[in-house]
Formats: sequence, C-alpha cells, structure tokens
Amino acid sequence: MHTLFSRVNNLSALLSSCVMGLLAAIALSSMMLQFFEAPLEGGSVVVKGVKTSPPLFNWNTKQLFLYLDAEYTNAKGVKNAVVIWDRIVRRKADAKIHVQGQQKYPFKDKHTFRDASATYTLRYNLMPHVGALVYGVAGTTNTSVPFPPMNNNV
Amino acid sequence: MFTEELKAFRRLGFRHVLLQALNFASVIASGLMIWKGLGLITNSESPIVVVLSGSMEPAFYRGDLLFLTNPVHERYHNGDITVYKIPGADIPIVHRVLETHDAKYRGPLPAHNQRLLTKGDNNEVNDIELYRGLEYLERKHIVGKVRGFLPYIGYVTIAMNDFPQLKYALLGGLGLLALIQRE
Repeated sequence: MHTLFSRVNNLSALLSSCVMGLLAAIALSSMMLQFFEAPLEGGSVVVKGVKTSPPLFNWNTKQLFLYLDAEYTNAKGVKNAVVIWDRIVRRKADAKIHVQGQQKYPFKDKHTFRDASATYTLRYNLMPHVGALVYGVAGTTNTSVPFPPMNNNV
Repeated sequence: MFTEELKAFRRLGFRHVLLQALNFASVIASGLMIWKGLGLITNSESPIVVVLSGSMEPAFYRGDLLFLTNPVHERYHNGDITVYKIPGADIPIVHRVLETHDAKYRGPLPAHNQRLLTKGDNNEVNDIELYRGLEYLERKHIVGKVRGFLPYIGYVTIAMNDFPQLKYALLGGLGLLALIQRE
C-alpha cells in the first residue's frame, strides 16, 4: 500500500494535475480579458497612427502578430486578400512602430488588378503562452483606395 | 526473483492473464475512439499535432502541441495558421496564410473554392518551394487551422522518435506492469 512506488505515483499525479489546472486558469482568465476589451484604436488612412492599447499585452501574451491586408476583386471576379506587410511584436516597449516605404511582400499577379482598387485592413493575431489564439482588426480604410499607377519598367 | 511472480501467476490462473489482456485492449481501444471522435468533431484527419520544426519561431517551438479544427463551411483567412500536407511529402507543415484567392461560386461547397499561399514566420520567403510544383495550396491539402496550443508537451513524442530505445523501454515497462499488477 504505502510503498515508495505508490508515493511517487501519487505525488506526480497531484503535481501534474496542479500544473494542468494552473495552465487552464491562465488560459481562461486571459480569454475573459480579451473578450471584454475593445479592439485596437483604428487608423484612418492606409496605416497612420495605429496604437496598440496596453491590454493586448497581459500575463498570457507571447507575441502580437501584426499584418496589413490588401483586399481587392480583380477583373475575373476573384476575391483576393494579400498580406503586404507584417511584424512580430514581442514586448510592449517595441509596440510603437514607425514604418515607411516599400511593401514587404509584392503582389504576384501583376496583370489582373491593373484597374482595381483595394481595401486595406490592419489586423492582429494575439498568440498566448498557453490557450486559444485570438484574432482582431486594428483598423481599416473602409472605402477602397485605388492602386497607384503601375510602373511598367519594373 | 521471478519464482515469486511465477507462483503468483499460477495461483491466479489463466483467467487473470486474460482479464489483464482485456483491460489493456480496452485502454488502447478507448484511446483510439477518443482520437477518431475528435477527428469527426473537428473534421480534421489529425486534430492534435506536434510542431517538428523551428520555421514558426517565436510563435511555436519544437515540441509544442497544437489543437486544430477544419470546419467544412468556413473559409480560411490571411493570418490563420494552417497545417497542410502536400501529396508525396510525408510530414505535415505548420505555416501562416499569406494570400487567399476566392474564385466565384462553383460546386456545392463554396468555401472550398479557395487557393492559399503560406509562409513560415521565421522564413524569409513564401512556401512555393515546398509545394512540389503546385502554384497555390488548395483546400484538400489542408489538415486544419490552429485554434490553441500547449507549450512543450509534445516533446515526449519527439524524444521517442529521436531515441527509439526509449519508446520500446516505455512500452515494455507498461506491458510488464499491466501483467504483474495484482489489484
């Protein structure tokens, strides 16, 4: 009954269920938090002045994955969504981002969207230390913005 | 050492051994049933996967456990982390969606009329090199979408793959215990 083996067995069972309980508590508590918080403040023009609000960085935040989505429908009626920029933010101190210049991922279909215009949306994906992944919208242009004139020399 | 055990064996008789074997089989069967039941609920051929590479760092490290779903009527969106399997490749890959292209409605499942391009967070370029000649991923290649995860728990399976002796030792030990225990 009270052998060394049974003691070790009981102790490890207790410890592992405690760890599992703790992990579940962390995951559930941070889910509640995100459920009640409003999303990020929106940016008005393409990407200008979007602030990450502090509650996104809580005890269960491993990283914030920010990405800028361009959505457009081309001449063939295909709905396209292409990520043109992304950034991993791991600390609150790094959450102030200034980006200017070229898109990170170029469009691949250079011929079908010649006369189209796109809607741009800044989205985020909150990745926890343990638990469920959370997705949200940080800001959107709402109306579609025409593509800048193509540079045919490129 | 074993004479004692053998004596006990003889005393308990053949029926006891059969009973233990039956217990063992029922444990294995219920494990299989839970796995297949989860697969039915989530519509994914493998609802729980272990991360095998570092291409999604710092989001996922080797050994992290991922929980997947693959709802039939749901489209995939940019930023979703998918697990996909290209025919001919033997290991599934966990990467994030970079582009989605939804063609016009054709067929009974419009959500399946979608082409995807993926990229690992830790990779410089997208996955076209991994697609073995395909230009885009299609829905049929996708195993599921990552919904939640548990860190490092899956490392046990990686350790067992890297050191097969560990696997045999574990299995043998469990089997022996199941036969010898007398309660």
